[in-house]
Amino acid sequence: MPTKTEATARFRTIVAPAAALLLLALRAGAQQAPELPAALQLEVQAAQDALARAVAEFDGAQQSRSIVVFDELIARLEALGPRALTRRGKEILAQAYEYRGRAYYGIGLPEKASDNFRQLVQLRPDHSLSKERVSPKVVELFDSVKRTLVGSIAVSSEPAGAQVTLVSPGGLRTDLGLTDFFPIEVLAGEYAVEVTRSGYRTETRAVSIAAEATETLAVPLVRVLASAFFVVEPTGVEIWVDGELRTTTAGSLSPELYEVARARGLDPARAAARVAIPNLSLGSHAIELRRPCYSGVKRTLETTEPQDYEVDPIRLEDSLGSLKLTSDPPGARILLNGEARGVTPAEIPEICSGKVRVEVKHAAGKFIKDLVLEKDEAVSLDCPIRPTLAFIGVEAASAGGLRHLADADARIQQNLAELRSLNFITAPREAVDRMLEQERLTRQSLVPGSGSDPDLVRKVTDRLASALEVQGFLVAVLPEERLQRTARLHLLAAGNSKAEAVDVTFAEAPAYAPLIKRLDALFASERPWSGLVTVDTLLHDGVPVLRVVPGSPAAQAGLALGDLVLAADGQPVKRTADLLAAVASRKAGDRLVLQVRGAAPGSQPRGVELTLGASAREIPLFDPDLVYNKVMMDLRAVVEGYPGTEAAAYARLNLAICAMHFSDYAGAHDYLQQAKAELPLRPGLSRGTALYYLGVALEKLGYRPQAVEAYRAAAEAKDATLIDNDGPAVAALAARRAGP
Amino acid sequence: MTMRRPMLALLLSLAVAAAFAQETPDQQARRLLEDGRGYLAQGKQKQALDNFNIVVSSFPSTDSVGQALLEIGRYHMETEGDKAKARAAFEQVTQQHARSDAAPGAYYYQGLLTLARATTAPEIEDALAQFARVETLYPRSPWVPRSLQASALAHRRAGRYAEATDLNRRVSLEYPASDAAAAAQYEIGRALALSAQPRLAMEEFQQVRNRFPLSAWAEPALERTTALYRLFGGAKPAFSPDPAFSVTAGDVLKDVRALVVAPTGALWIASEKAKSAVPIDRAGKLGAGFSAEDPRALALSPTGDVILASRTAVRFGAKDVRSFTTPPEKPGALPKPVDKILAAAITPGGAVLVSDEDREAILRYDGKGEYLGNFPGARDAAKRKVTRILLDGEGGIVTLDRDEKAVRVWDETGRLLRSVGPVGLKRPVDVAVDAFRNLYVADEEVGVHVFNPQGQLLTTIASPELRRARAVALDASGALLVYDERAQRVLRYR
Repeated sequence: MPTKTEATARFRTIVAPAAALLLLALRAGAQQAPELPAALQLEVQAAQDALARAVAEFDGAQQSRSIVVFDELIARLEALGPRALTRRGKEILAQAYEYRGRAYYGIGLPEKASDNFRQLVQLRPDHSLSKERVSPKVVELFDSVKRTLVGSIAVSSEPAGAQVTLVSPGGLRTDLGLTDFFPIEVLAGEYAVEVTRSGYRTETRAVSIAAEATETLAVPLVRVLASAFFVVEPTGVEIWVDGELRTTTAGSLSPELYEVARARGLDPARAAARVAIPNLSLGSHAIELRRPCYSGVKRTLETTEPQDYEVDPIRLEDSLGSLKLTSDPPGARILLNGEARGVTPAEIPEICSGKVRVEVKHAAGKFIKDLVLEKDEAVSLDCPIRPTLAFIGVEAASAGGLRHLADADARIQQNLAELRSLNFITAPREAVDRMLEQERLTRQSLVPGSGSDPDLVRKVTDRLASALEVQGFLVAVLPEERLQRTARLHLLAAGNSKAEAVDVTFAEAPAYAPLIKRLDALFASERPWSGLVTVDTLLHDGVPVLRVVPGSPAAQAGLALGDLVLAADGQPVKRTADLLAAVASRKAGDRLVLQVRGAAPGSQPRGVELTLGASAREIPLFDPDLVYNKVMMDLRAVVEGYPGTEAAAYARLNLAICAMHFSDYAGAHDYLQQAKAELPLRPGLSRGTALYYLGVALEKLGYRPQAVEAYRAAAEAKDATLIDNDGPAVAALAARRAGP
Repeated sequence: MTMRRPMLALLLSLAVAAAFAQETPDQQARRLLEDGRGYLAQGKQKQALDNFNIVVSSFPSTDSVGQALLEIGRYHMETEGDKAKARAAFEQVTQQHARSDAAPGAYYYQGLLTLARATTAPEIEDALAQFARVETLYPRSPWVPRSLQASALAHRRAGRYAEATDLNRRVSLEYPASDAAAAAQYEIGRALALSAQPRLAMEEFQQVRNRFPLSAWAEPALERTTALYRLFGGAKPAFSPDPAFSVTAGDVLKDVRALVVAPTGALWIASEKAKSAVPIDRAGKLGAGFSAEDPRALALSPTGDVILASRTAVRFGAKDVRSFTTPPEKPGALPKPVDKILAAAITPGGAVLVSDEDREAILRYDGKGEYLGNFPGARDAAKRKVTRILLDGEGGIVTLDRDEKAVRVWDETGRLLRSVGPVGLKRPVDVAVDAFRNLYVADEEVGVHVFNPQGQLLTTIASPELRRARAVALDASGALLVYDERAQRVLRYR
C-alpha cells in the first residue's frame, strides 16, 4: 500500500499537472466549452471509479488504507473548483468526505473526522447520515458538526409557484425550488433570496440564516405581464403573436369547456386543449392563427392590464382546392409538393391551398410547374411531358479557363433555362462524379475525342439517366484560347455514345438563340398524307396524277391515274408544291376538297373530298440543322411514353437512323430488330423499311449473309417505301443490294 | 515635322510586322487561302491563283498546302482547261498530303478528269476506282456524297443504269443536305428514264422539285417530266400543235437546212436563203448569228456550243472556223480539201467528225485537226452520205443517211449500237434525239416518227398544218420544232 508520502508524491507528479491542465482548459473560454463536458465527464467517470476503489478499501480489512485513496480523489475533485463540478461530481465529493470522515473516526481521529464532516456540510448542507448504515457515534459527530453550520429557510409567495434562488455574497447561486416549500437546510450566513415568477416582477429579499434556526419568508409578487388563453379547433394550429411563433395547439379540450366551444360553433371533439400564451406585454398584439390547409385567422388583442385574457374560441376553416391533371403521354406519376398522389390522368381533391409544386414524372420525361392554389379553386392542368436535359458542369481545357468556370456555369444555366422543349436542370455534382468514378470516367470522357469506349459511355449515360430521371446531358468545355469567350457545349442523349458540339460565346445571351431555336425545333415524325402522287409539267395548268397509293385517302376518294388536280379547297393548284402545301397545312383527319378534271377528253371538273391520313416520316440521315442527340431524346420519349404503339415503332425506326447518323450500326441494329417486329406490313413506311435498313446496318457491321437475308425479306415487302409513304420503293433497292 | 513621317511609317510597318509576326505560319497560310477563295468568288482568278501559289511555295509545312493545291488544280481544270497541270496538282495532294482535308477532294477531281476522257470500259473503271478511294479512305469527308454521285455518273456512262441509280439513291437519301443531293436525285430520274422506266423516272424528277425546289436542278427536272409525260403520261404519246408559237424571221425562214435548240433555249435556224445560222431567243427576238456560204447542218458540241457545218468549213461556236483536208493519195501531192461538207459534230471523246459528200464518208479528226481516218472505221467501210451527225447525250453518235433511209447510232469506237430504217422510213430528211435517246425522224412524206431506243415506233406526229417536214429540233422540255418547207415556217408541237 502506498504511503501517504508516496501518494502525495504521485499526486504532485501526475494528478496535479493533469488537473491543472484541465483547469486551464476550463478557464479557456466558451469556444472550448464543447470539449469541456467530455473532459469533465471523463474526470467524473475517473472519480467515480476511484470512489468505488476507495469504498472497497473502506469496506476491506484495513479501513484506514482507504484514506489515502480518498485523499487522492478529494484532491482531484477539489482542484476542479466548485463551479466546475457537476452535480454528480459534487455527490462523489460529498461521499468521499463522508467516507474519509468515517475512516478517520475509525482510526481514532475524530478531529479529522469533524473536518471532513465540516467540508461535507459546506458542500451539501442538507446531507445526512443514516443510522442504519453508519455508526450512531459517527452520526452523532456528524450531526453535531452540522448543527453548528446549518440553518433552514422556508419561502412562500403569493401567488405560489415562484422560483426561489439563494444568492451568497460570493455570487454563488443555489436554486431552492418553487414556492411554497417547507424549510430547506442551508449553510448559515447572509444571503439574498430571489423570488421569480413569469409575468411577475422579480422580488429580492436579504436574509440572515443562523445555525439551527429557520428563517421564514413570505413574498407577495406583483404581476406585470398579461396572459392570453386560447381554445382553437383543430389541433396543430400555430399561434403567432406579433410575428413570433409562441405555441402550437395540441391535446384535447377539457370537458368543462365543451359548452363554451359549442357556443362558438366549434366541435369540442376536434378542438385542442386550452393553451396559454404568457408574458404578454401591455398594449396591442397582432394575433395570427395558422395551419396548413386551413384559412388563417387574424385577431388583435388589447392587453391593457396585467391579467389573464380569455380569447373567444376560434374555429379555423379548411382551405382546400382540387387539381385535375392530364399528361401526354398518360400514366405519369404525380407528385404534389414531393408527395406521391397517383398517376395521370387524375382528379385530386382536398389539396391544401397555397403554393403547390406539381411534378408529373414519366420515363419519357417530366413536367414541373409551381402554382398557387386558392381556396375552393379547381384547376385543370395539362402536363405535356418533356425530356429533361441535365447540365453536368463546365470543364476547362487549359489553366487559363479555370478562372472562368463559375461565370460560364452561371451563364449557361441562365441562358439555357429559356429552352421550351426540354426541362433544363443542373445535375447534382456529387452523384454524377460518383457514378462516373465507378466506371473510371470523368466528364471529359463524355465528349468526342476522349477515346472512351462507346459501349461504356452508352452504359454509363443510361445509368445516370435512370438515377437522375433525365433523358440527356450537357457538358460544357472551355477550349484553350487567348481570350476565354467560347464554351463548347456537348449534348449527349442517354444511351447514345457520341455527343454533338455547338460553340457559344458564353457571356452573350444572343449567342444562345440559334442553339435554342435548333433544340426547340421538333422533328415532325409524321405528316398529313393524301396518297396522291402528282407531277409538274409544262403541258397542264393543274397537276396530273401520276400514281394513287392503294388504300390511301386519295384511292378511297376515287381519284385515278391521269386525273388533273386544278384546285385544293378553292385555291388554284399550278404546281405539285401547291398541293403539297395544302395538305401540309392540315392535319390527319381533316377534309380536303380537290377540284379535279378527268383524263378523258371532254371531262368536266368535279369536286372530290378526301379525308387526309397520316404518313410517318424518316429522319434524314445527315441534316446539318438537326441536333441528333436532341432528336433521340424526343424519340425515346415517344418509345417510353407510348409503348406498343405504332408511334413507338416508328420512333424506333428513326432512332435507328439517328444511330446510323453516328455510325453506330450496332445500336441501329438493336433498334431495328425491335422496329421490324412492331411495324405493320403495309404500303408506305412499314416493316419492309425496317428490314431494308437492317440489311444496311448488318452490311456495315460486316455480316453480309445476314444482310442479304434482311434485304431479301425487305424485297418481299412489295409496297414498302423509304422517306415517307410517297417515297421510293424499298423492293427494288433491296433486291439490288441483295444481289443475285 | 519632316523627320516625323518616316518615323511614323517605320513604326507602322514595325507594328504591322509585329502583328504579322504574331500570326503563326499556319494562321498566315490559312488567311492567304481564305483570301484566295474570296478572290475566286469575286471572279479575280489571277489574284486567287497567286495567293494559292504563295501558300504552296512559302508555307509548305502548313495544313493549308493541300487545300491550296486543290484550288490550283481546279483552276487549271475549270478555267484554263489544262488537264495535265490539273492532274499534276491533284496528284501532289494525294501523294504528299494524303492526310489533309484536301486529299479526298483531290481523288474526286482526279476521278473527274479520268472520267472526262474515258471512252472505254477500263478507263471508266479507273475513274470509279478514284471515286471509291474517297469513301474508303475518308468515310466522314464531305467529299463522299460528291464522289458517290460521280461514281453514279461513271456507271451511267458505262450503261449500268441500275448501279447508277443505286449510288445516286444513296446520296439523295443519306446526304440530303449535301450539294450533290439534288443532282443525285435528278440523275435517278435520268437513269430510270434511260432504262425504260418512265413513270418511275417522272416520280423521281418530281422529287427533285419537291425536295430541292431552289436547286439548279428543279427547272431541268420540270423539263424532263414534261418530256416524259408527253410521251408516256397517257395511253399514247400526245403531241399537239402549239398555237401560241410563232416565229417571224424573214428570209431566215426560207430554205431552212437545219434547226437546233441551244442549251440557252435559243432556236438556231440555218438558212440557205439568209446564208447564215441565226438564233431566235425564247421571246422570239433574233440574235447575232453566223454567216455561212451554203449552210448544211447544225449540231451541238458536248459543251453545248453550236456547230454550223457549211459546204467548205465548219464553225465551232462564235470564233472557231475550220476547214478540213485529208492526206494526199500520192506522196508529194497536196492534201485534199474537204469542200463538200454535209454535216459535222464533236464526239464526247473530243474527236471531230465531218461528213463529206465527195468521199461519201465520215472523216474523223482530232482536236487539233489532224486526220485520224474514217468513222466508224475499219468495222464499217461502207460509203454513205450522212447528212446529219449529232450526239444523243449518252455517248452515242447519231447519223442520218438520207440515201439509205437509215438512222444509226454508234459509240465512240465506231461500234453500231442501234439503227432505225430503212423499214418504216420513206424519205427521212432530218433527225433529232431527246434526253432519253428517243429518235425523232422527220419524214418528208409523213411527218415526224418517234422511235424509242429499242427502235420501236412510239408515235408519228402529223397534222394538217405540217405539209412537208424538212428539219426538226427538240427543246429542253421535249417539245418538237419542225420546219415546214412548203409553208416556210416553224411549227411547235408541245
